[in-house]
Amino acid sequence: MDILTFMQQMINGISLGSMYALIAIGYTLVYGVLRLINFAHGDIMMVGAFVAYIAHSSGVPFELAVILAIVSAMITGILTDKIAYKPLRDAPKISLLITAIGISFFLENLFNVLFGGVPRAFAAPDYLTSIIHFKGIVIPMTVIIIPVVTLVLLFITLWILNKTKYGMAIRSLAFDIPTVKLMGINADFIIMLVFAMGSALAAIGGIFYAVSYPSIDPLMGIIVGLKAFAAAVLGGIGSVAGAVIGGFILGFTEIVVVAFMPELGGYKDAFAFIFLILVLLFRPTGIMGQDLERSRF
Amino acid sequence: MKKISTIVASAALIASMSYAKEIKIGVVLPLTGPIAAFGQTSNGGLKIAYAQRHTLKNGDTVKLIVLDDRGDKVEAATATRRLIDKDHVTAILGEVASSNSMAMAPVAEKAKTPMITHASTNPRVTKGKKFVTRACFIDPFQGAIQANYAYDHGYKTAVIVTDAKQDYSVGVSKAFKKAYLKRGGKILGRVIINSQDKDFNAQVSTIKAKNPSIVAFTGYYPEGALMVKQARAVGIQAPFIGGDGVGFPELIKIAGKASEGFMYSDHFNEAAATSKVAKAYVDAFHKKYHKPADSMGALAADGYNMILDAMEKCSNPADKVCVNKNLRGTKNFQGVTGVININKNGDAVKSGVVNVVKNGKFAYLTTVNP
Repeated sequence: MDILTFMQQMINGISLGSMYALIAIGYTLVYGVLRLINFAHGDIMMVGAFVAYIAHSSGVPFELAVILAIVSAMITGILTDKIAYKPLRDAPKISLLITAIGISFFLENLFNVLFGGVPRAFAAPDYLTSIIHFKGIVIPMTVIIIPVVTLVLLFITLWILNKTKYGMAIRSLAFDIPTVKLMGINADFIIMLVFAMGSALAAIGGIFYAVSYPSIDPLMGIIVGLKAFAAAVLGGIGSVAGAVIGGFILGFTEIVVVAFMPELGGYKDAFAFIFLILVLLFRPTGIMGQDLERSRF
Repeated sequence: MKKISTIVASAALIASMSYAKEIKIGVVLPLTGPIAAFGQTSNGGLKIAYAQRHTLKNGDTVKLIVLDDRGDKVEAATATRRLIDKDHVTAILGEVASSNSMAMAPVAEKAKTPMITHASTNPRVTKGKKFVTRACFIDPFQGAIQANYAYDHGYKTAVIVTDAKQDYSVGVSKAFKKAYLKRGGKILGRVIINSQDKDFNAQVSTIKAKNPSIVAFTGYYPEGALMVKQARAVGIQAPFIGGDGVGFPELIKIAGKASEGFMYSDHFNEAAATSKVAKAYVDAFHKKYHKPADSMGALAADGYNMILDAMEKCSNPADKVCVNKNLRGTKNFQGVTGVININKNGDAVKSGVVNVVKNGKFAYLTTVNP
C-alpha cells in the first residue's frame, strides 16, 4: 500500500470513527443516569434524520430543518420516557431493557407504515457535501465537520454535567434516585432533561449520518445503533469521553481490516467485535470506565 | 353416525361441485427494510397480473395472501411456515433476494408446497429441491452477460465487489470471474462489502489504488448507490457494471449524477418488450403507475401466471403435488419477460438484457440470448 492510499484510509478511519463517536455520546449519557441501555437510541436517530429529510424536501431551509429535527427528536425522547420508561422506574432493570427494545421496534415499524421501507435520497446543502482535494488525498467536508461537532458536543455535554446545577442534579441522580428525591429535586424532570439531551445528540448524529451516507430508511438506526452501543461499551459505558474514544477505535478497526485485508473485509464487523471482547476481557468496564458501580460520566 | 358422515361427505361433494372454490396463493416479499424496493416493485407487477387474471378456467377464484419479511431470512422462513400451516396456501410466490428464498425453500420443500421465486438468481435456490422453481435466469448466465459485455466493450481489467452477506452477490461474483477470465480479462482484485453498510470509503480507496478499467459491482442497489457515489468522490472514473440487483430508480435518486454510466444485466426492459403479453402488461402498468415497467414487477407477473397455468392443468387446482409437477414442466410459457422454459433443475432458461443509466434514466443497450 502506497503512502497516499494509507493516508486516505486514515482519513476514512477518522470519518467513520467520528460518526460512531457522535452517536455513542447520547447512548452513554442515558446509561450513565438510568443504567438503561436505551436500544431506541438508534431509532431516535432515525427519527431525527427523517424529520430533517421531510422538512427539507418540503421546502424548509436545511438549517431550520435541522432544528426542527432536533426538537422533534427531543419530543420523541421525552415522550418515550413519559409513556414507556417512567411507569417502570421501580421495576427491575430487565423490564426497562425489554421496553426499550419494544420502543425501538415501535418506532421502526411506525416509520415503515408512515413512509414505506424504500430507502430515500437525503439531500444536503453543498457546503456539507463538498470535497477537498489535498495533494491527491480526498477529504470530504464531513470528515472535518463531524469530529469538530463531536468534540464541541462532548465539551458542551461535559460542561452541562460538571458546571451547571442541572448537571449536578443529573450526576447525583446517577448515584441514587430516592435520596435525590428526598433532597427536594424533581427527579422526573431531570430524567426528562437527560432524555431530551440524549435525543438531541441522537438527532444530530442521525442528520450527519444521513449527510455522510445520503440514503435513509426506517431501519437505518439498527446497525449504527449497535455499533454506537459497542463503541460506548468499548470506551466504558457511562463515560462520555470514553464513548468518543470507543467510537474512534471501532471506526479505525473497521477501516484497517478492509484496507489491509480486502479479502476479509466481510468480517470487519467480526474483527471489531472480537476487539471489543478482547478489551472487555482485560478491562471489563471498558477503556475509560471505572468500577462499574462508581463510573459516572 | 355413519349415515351422518355420508351426508356430510356428499354435501361437501355437492358444494364443491356447484360452488367455485377459493384457491390461495401465498406471497412473501421484502415490502419494507433495506431491499424494500424489490418487494414493492414485485408487488406492483403482481397487482397488475392479478387484476388481469384472478379466476381459473374452472371458475375457482384466486386469493393472494401477501406477507412482508422485511428483507430478513428468518422472517422469510417464518412467513412461509405461516402461509403453509395457517393459511393453507396451494402455492407460494417469492422471495426476491436469493438468501431469503434459500431460507424459504427447505420449508416449502418439507411441506411439499410448490414455491416459485420470480427473481432469485442464485443456483443454490433450486438445487436438490423438488418443489422449488424459478421464473428467472440464474447467476452463471447473468455473470457471463456482464463479463462478456464488459470485455467486448474494451474494459479489460476489473475489480470485483462482493457483498459477503448476500448469496446472490457471491454467486454473481463467481460467475463474473469465471466468464471474464475465460474471455481473457484480468481481475485485479476483489473487495468485500456487507449489505446495510453505508461506509465504503475503505473499499473505494483500495479500488482506486488498483486502478481497474471497470468495477464489477455484484451487490444490491442500496450499497451500489452509496458505493458509486463514494467512488466518484475519490475520483474513480471506471464505470460500474452490476446485475439485476441494482436496476432500481433509487440507484439514480440516491447516487444522483454518480450513477451515470452504471451498466447492469437485467431480466426485462420495456423497450425490448415486443410480445402481445408483454405489451398488454406494459400498457396496464403505465395506466396504473404512470412510470416505466420494471423488471421485478414483470417477473412477479410471470411467476404468478406460471402458477395459474400450472393450476389450470390440474383437475383439482388445490392439489399441491399436481400443481408442482406442472410448474416444473413449464414449457414455452409466453411471459412478460420473454419465453420461459423450465429445465430439469427447476431453473428458467430465457434471455436477458443489458441496461445503462443515461441522463438519469435506465436506457436499453442490448438483449442476450441463452
